[in-house]
Amino acid sequence: MNLTEPQYLWALLLLPLLWWLSQPPKPRKQVVSAHLAQWQLAMRALRRKPPRGSWLRFALLALALIAACIAAARPFQPAGQGPTKLVVLLDASASMAVTNGDQSAFARAVEQLRPDLDAVPEHVDVTVLRCGGDLLRRYGVAARELQDLGEPAGSLDADLVQLARELTTSECVAWTVTDGQGQTQLPEVGALTMLDTAGPNGVITAVRIVDAWPLPTLQLELDIEAHGSSQQIDASLHVQGAVLQPQTMRVELQRGRMQTHRLSLQRSKNGGNLTIELRVAGDRLQVDNWHTLRVPPLPAPRVAALADGDAGPFVSAAAGALAEEVGGEVVTMADGVAVGLLLVDGGFVALQKENGELEKRRVLTFGTRLSQDAEPQPWLLPSPVDWSRTSDLTRGLDLSELRIQRAWQNLLPAGEPFVWWVDGNRKVPLGVVVDHGETASVHLAFRLEDSNLPLLPAFPQLLRRAFVRSYGKAQTSIATPLVPPPGERDLMARAEADDRPLPAFADPEVVLTRWFVAVGLLALAFRAFVR
Amino acid sequence: MSRPFQLPEVSEPFSAEFRSLLPALLATRGKVGAGRIERLRARRTVLSQSGTFVGHRQYERGDDLRHIDWSAYARTGELFTKQLEDDDRRAVTVMIDLSPSMLAGTPPRRLAALRLAAVLGGLALARLDAVSIVAPGASNPNQRFTGIGQLPRLLHHLEELPVATETPNAAAALALQAEAVGRVHWISDFAVPPDFRLATLSLRRRGARLTGWLPAVPEDESPPTGGYLRVIDPETEQELSVPVDRSLRDELHRQLMLLQRQQRRMFAEAGCQLWRWEQGDAAQPRLSDYLPIVSLCAR
Repeated sequence: MNLTEPQYLWALLLLPLLWWLSQPPKPRKQVVSAHLAQWQLAMRALRRKPPRGSWLRFALLALALIAACIAAARPFQPAGQGPTKLVVLLDASASMAVTNGDQSAFARAVEQLRPDLDAVPEHVDVTVLRCGGDLLRRYGVAARELQDLGEPAGSLDADLVQLARELTTSECVAWTVTDGQGQTQLPEVGALTMLDTAGPNGVITAVRIVDAWPLPTLQLELDIEAHGSSQQIDASLHVQGAVLQPQTMRVELQRGRMQTHRLSLQRSKNGGNLTIELRVAGDRLQVDNWHTLRVPPLPAPRVAALADGDAGPFVSAAAGALAEEVGGEVVTMADGVAVGLLLVDGGFVALQKENGELEKRRVLTFGTRLSQDAEPQPWLLPSPVDWSRTSDLTRGLDLSELRIQRAWQNLLPAGEPFVWWVDGNRKVPLGVVVDHGETASVHLAFRLEDSNLPLLPAFPQLLRRAFVRSYGKAQTSIATPLVPPPGERDLMARAEADDRPLPAFADPEVVLTRWFVAVGLLALAFRAFVR
Repeated sequence: MSRPFQLPEVSEPFSAEFRSLLPALLATRGKVGAGRIERLRARRTVLSQSGTFVGHRQYERGDDLRHIDWSAYARTGELFTKQLEDDDRRAVTVMIDLSPSMLAGTPPRRLAALRLAAVLGGLALARLDAVSIVAPGASNPNQRFTGIGQLPRLLHHLEELPVATETPNAAAALALQAEAVGRVHWISDFAVPPDFRLATLSLRRRGARLTGWLPAVPEDESPPTGGYLRVIDPETEQELSVPVDRSLRDELHRQLMLLQRQQRRMFAEAGCQLWRWEQGDAAQPRLSDYLPIVSLCAR
């Protein structure tokens, strides 16, 4: 027997005080009588006994005190030899999601653990460490119940060998439950349970997205690889969902070698989930075979065209063609009508405030006066015309055939010029982009009918780029999916070892407090009957 | 572990008030004993086992069989005991119990016992020839006094008596050592009547006319009313711690009454009388408190 708090034994020094207190009170008045026999007879007749000290009563009282002191010191019988703590190192890396039938290896591990943990004696402290992905720790009842361990994901960052070695002591035993994937060796101490997750596996290791938003063009660049027993593995790529034309591509993969495939897609107008799937025969780990991209819907702009009476049909035709290309519609400019992109040819539109800023952002103007105060001066045959080779609007376009009959000076707002008249060493802007951060507006100093721009092959492209630049990139993000960690891809490369059972746990520590309390109470109860 | 206790002391039992009272008390003898019956009884007190034949009396249980007059029985068919009278030894024996139990009571019973012995001895000296004071345990356990002139010496002898423990049988044996046993006054508390039974019977068989005197104290009939008491027997030094309540008091009173009955029965069985005498105020003795002694002696 051992004591948790032996300092309470000092209370045993109260025994002499207890003996003194247990003595019957002394009568203070003394009577000398020749009739002591009569006193005794009277007491006997009344079945009374004189108050007197009793060694048995004191012994019982002392026993109660001793039992109470020992109970306060919290006695216990020490546990026997063997561990009293169990730490389960549960591998929850991505490879544990390998399915065998309809159950993953992780689920099977949990199912195997449950009855074994139920069989672990109550006095053993159980801790479950979920290794892989998010590190989770469960202790006590939560550990025994295996509560809320999540799903396998991520890489096995923890070193199971070192963990098991450091955890294993004379009082603690580590129990490693793993499939051995992504590990070079397995713990040599403690219990070990291996799960079979070996088999062929195809995996999309990277997804890169080139998005032409707000245009429907979407380019995917996929890195894929496959692992299996054969050198050459047939696979197929499937893309479906938020695209106009689902695509299927047969690929031949070399074992363990990554291949990159590019797919050009036309996204659907309404957006949605875009599923990319790599299919490999006999694939045991499905979760790394496919990705789902959330593709937002196209902006579907409402394009309006404003032109004065002198304007030709060009601006209306340009609006119609643009709307058709980007899935939008042409609307008539009126009060209360929302407009996504405004095309203006000539005339006056009050867009510029007194401080020079533009009130409307997504605007494409051709020789349009933006402010009432502006006094444009006609500018005949500005030539030669040059353009920017680096601007987003004109990069790669050929505007060498651009001829302008008449342009207007003092018409353009402050912005980044992308086309200009070359006057010696001086460049006079004929077109500017006013950048407003995520959005922009494009302004040209000439009207469409005063130039041959609508007739140039570069015009539709310039128009599309002006549209793209005006809409910006704010709503175009498509989340790039997470890819499985490298160590969790090849299911054939795994460390192997034989299972080791749990050792016998120590006998439980027996708390003796209640027994001493019972002895104390029993002594007090007996004392009540002893006269 | 019992605590020591101090026995009460009886200092100067014969105070000046008592000594001044004693002559008057002895002088009342004629008035009290003037009757014929009393005189006859007084005469009886000097009858002895040997001496001059003075007549017959009805046989009483306990009489010495040697004194039965068988001739008278043959003539009358009734048993008669021959009455003899000492010629020169008309004496009284006063046995006084010196045991520690006599120290019980408030005032101690021993005080009343000594005064009772003084009165009885004084009466004997005044009326008869001599008185023998038998005090078992004393250095001189059997002291004889003759004539009223030895009254002071008698009182002094009584004052000097120690506290001693002797059995009643030893006391009776001491009294029977006298050549002739006449009237015997035994002053005691008779606390344990069975211990006195054999002694009274032996005295009676030897022809002693025994009279028991029990000096009463208030505690004999009125136990303490309450409190937590340490009751001590001064003779055995046994003690008892007793919380007294009403039921115990009543039961103790019943036991004391039972004791009195046992005492009376014991003397009745021996054919003797037991007189219970209450002293009254010990500090201020009055003649009326002692007259009953004279009266009882005259019977």
